[in-house]
This record gives sequence, C-alpha cells and structure tokens, in this order.
Amino acid sequence: MPIQLTSQAYCKMLLHTAKYPHCAVNGLLIAEKSKEKKKDGHGVPVLCVDCVPLFHGTLALAPMLEVALTLIDTWCKENNYIIAGYYQANERKKDSKPNQVAEKVAARITENFSEAAIVMVDNSRLTVSCSEPIVVIYDHHENKWRNREVTMGSFEDWSEAQKITSALLVGRSYENLIDFDNHLDDLRNDWTNPVINKSVLDLC
Amino acid sequence: MLNCDAMRDKLRKWREDNSRNSEQIVDVGEELISDHASKLGDDVWIIYEQVMIAALDCSRDDLALTCLQELRKQFPDSHRVKRLTGMRLEALERYDEANKHYDAILEDDPTNTAARKRKISILKAQGKNGEAIRELNEYLEQFVGDQEAWHELSELYINEHDYGKAAFCLEELMMTNPHNHLYCEQYAEVKYTQGGLENLELSRKYFSQALRLNNRNMRALFGLYMSASHIAASPKVSAKVKKDNIKYAAWAANQINRAYKVSICKQHSDILKTTSFT
Repeated sequence: MPIQLTSQAYCKMLLHTAKYPHCAVNGLLIAEKSKEKKKDGHGVPVLCVDCVPLFHGTLALAPMLEVALTLIDTWCKENNYIIAGYYQANERKKDSKPNQVAEKVAARITENFSEAAIVMVDNSRLTVSCSEPIVVIYDHHENKWRNREVTMGSFEDWSEAQKITSALLVGRSYENLIDFDNHLDDLRNDWTNPVINKSVLDLC
Repeated sequence: MLNCDAMRDKLRKWREDNSRNSEQIVDVGEELISDHASKLGDDVWIIYEQVMIAALDCSRDDLALTCLQELRKQFPDSHRVKRLTGMRLEALERYDEANKHYDAILEDDPTNTAARKRKISILKAQGKNGEAIRELNEYLEQFVGDQEAWHELSELYINEHDYGKAAFCLEELMMTNPHNHLYCEQYAEVKYTQGGLENLELSRKYFSQALRLNNRNMRALFGLYMSASHIAASPKVSAKVKKDNIKYAAWAANQINRAYKVSICKQHSDILKTTSFT
C-alpha cells in the first residue's frame, strides 16, 4: 500500500528541512490507525496525517532516537495513530539517497507497521514557491528499498499542500518549528507543534 | 525597530555563541551596516566578516561581496580576508579556485590553521568524507589542541558509523575540558550506540557524570534511564548488578517525570508511567 501525505505532514517536513539548512534532519511520519482490517487492502493508500520532526545534525546516535521512538509511540497509542514512516533530509544539497540511518530506523518501524516507507527530501529542489513536490518515496520490496514515482496522487491534496507550504516558508514559520532535539533542550518545547498545526489549519 | 546599540549587542552575542542563525544575522547586520556603519568604530570590520559569512549561508552574494570589498580595501594583504574570498568561492561551488586561494595562503604561511580547515571543509562539501577524515587526522597531529577540530572529527566518525574512533576524539575533548557536561553526554551516547554490555556500563557512568556536571541535562537523564534499563534487562549480569541498575533506572524515571511536571508540557507529564522502555 503506497503512502499519501496530507498538507500538514508535507509542510512540517519541509519546514524542518528549511529550519536547519546546514544540517541533516529527520523525523517520523504518522498515520491514523485503520479501524478495520481489509482483506484486500491493495491500492488503498496509507494517509500520513502528520509528522514529528526528530533531530538535526548528528542523526547516527542511538539513545535519544530510542527515547523518541518510545515516547512518540506512546503518544500515538493515546491518539489512535501509528508510526507509518520516516523522513530524512541529508546534510549536503545534492545528496538525497537514504543512508544506513534511514534504513535502520525504517526497519525498526517496519516491525510494527509492515508498509513503512522512507521519504527522502530532495534538497536541491527546495524552493519557497514549492512549485513541485520534492520528496522521493521509498518502499521495501524484496529486501531492498526502491523508490517510487511521486505523483499528485502521493498527496491528499497537492495544490493545498503547495499553497500552505509555500506560505509558511515565505512567512519563516520554520523559526517556530519544534523538533525532538529542541524538546530535549527545553521540555516546554512541544514536538507536536500545536502552533504550526493551527497555522496550517487556518490556511486550509 | 531596534536601535544601533541593540543591534550591535545582538551581533556580538551571536558571535560569542558561535550561532549559525544566518538569516537573523543578515537581517540585523544588513540594516546595521547600511544605516549605521559610521557609528560602529573598529567593530565594523568584525561585523563585516560576520555578516559576510552569514550572507554566504543565505545565498546573498550581493551582500557578501559588499562586505568582502570593504574588508579588502581596509586589509589588502590580509590572510584572514583571503580566507573569506575563498569561502565565497566555496559558496559558489568553485572549489578548485577556492583551493588555489587556500594553497596560496599556506605557501606563504604553512601554519595557517584556518586555510587548512577550509580545505577540509571543501572535502566534506564534496562528500569525500574518507579524505576529510584523513586530512583532519593529519592536521590534529600537528595542532593537537584544536578542540573545534577534534569535535568535527568526532562528528565525521559518527557519520561513518566508526563509533570507536569517535569515542577517542571525545575522550581527548573530555580530558581537556573535564567540566564540560556536553562532551561527557556525547561520549556516553557514542558508547551506548557502540553497544555491548561493557560499553553500556561505561555509557551509564558517563551519563551520570554529565548529570553531576549539569543536573538539568535531559539527554543525560534519559540516557541514564535507558542504559541502566538495558543493563538490568541483560541476561549476562549478576543479580546485584541487575538490582543496582533497576535502582538507577527508577531514580532516573522519577527525575524525568518530575522534570515534565515542572515544565508546562502537561500532556506529557505522565508519559513514563505508561511507557515501558525495555
């Protein structure tokens, strides 16, 4: 089942990327837990309604990642969500391939959600106007991560996602985006990003 | 609208903190330079340098060039300004030309550390991590006290998943900065990532040490909880070690819950009650 991104998920990923242009960033993609198990659920996309920005800078250390996965998993259970994927933007502009960190985290997520996807941000196409989607989506097939063509269908509503993301980038909303690193620096920083979520809602 | 002094103070604070908030530096610095340059006295040169580097980060080549030209006029033969010229070429991805600039500085002054570090940065920008690591190791043989370089090397090793060598770099930093809780905590994270019982125990000790140095370091607190929990859960430890680590983990969990209660993050304040880490 391919994943689909809502405007909120897409825009927060890009805001995180824009907030730390000189660093690698990563985060988790969150989907609503489906109520019924479909026997023939082929072709029904998994809608990623939100994302949780995790870290910036050094991504390859384990302890805080484990803490984040556990806390966010608990939060998901309380809100009937599930961790459905992982996103990463690499440090260098021209580098948009998933690395060992991405594969390791995604493997961990796959233990709880078999259709987990890796979403890589293509830094070289990041613009304020957001004229085209700049993510590359990878699915796990036969022991390898293969990228899939990203179309308008990869979004719940591409033109809305485009409009909102562009507006928030122009308005520099990324300055207020909170990731898990920011939360560890000061517990009052809320990684669910209620302020940004409200801005997204207001623009819908 | 900030006044000249306030803007000057902000820029100074950002210099002292070595923050990379380039957009803000460009905002404040550009206004300061264009409206108040005459009031800045000798500070103006270091501000030109700071704003120039921030402008490169923001692709504001126009502003960067303006600053650079003022600096070149004032300090025509300066190696420090030559390095800035090189940095601009790096920002424009003209790496070969940048390298020529740095080589020229080094021919003139082989001890110029800034030029050597820029050459290593170019390797990093080109994705040549292996070479960057080799060059940085050579550099550190000569300039063994350069902490920024040791830290950069530790990060390069972490990105290559060479945790043993990253730990070595952090050990150097801890030796020369025994009161720095951040180095302790990072060392503990590397040890934890390396894995294995011995490394976990070391990591727990260094998370504790980081907490002793700064009892508000949340990463150290979480790290203590995680490492102690994992040790307690290991089938290879004695009953006493298990009991001790359960105690440490329980203490840490308590401290974490207290920290959340005190913060205004109400929704997460009982998060460890429902969470089982092991």
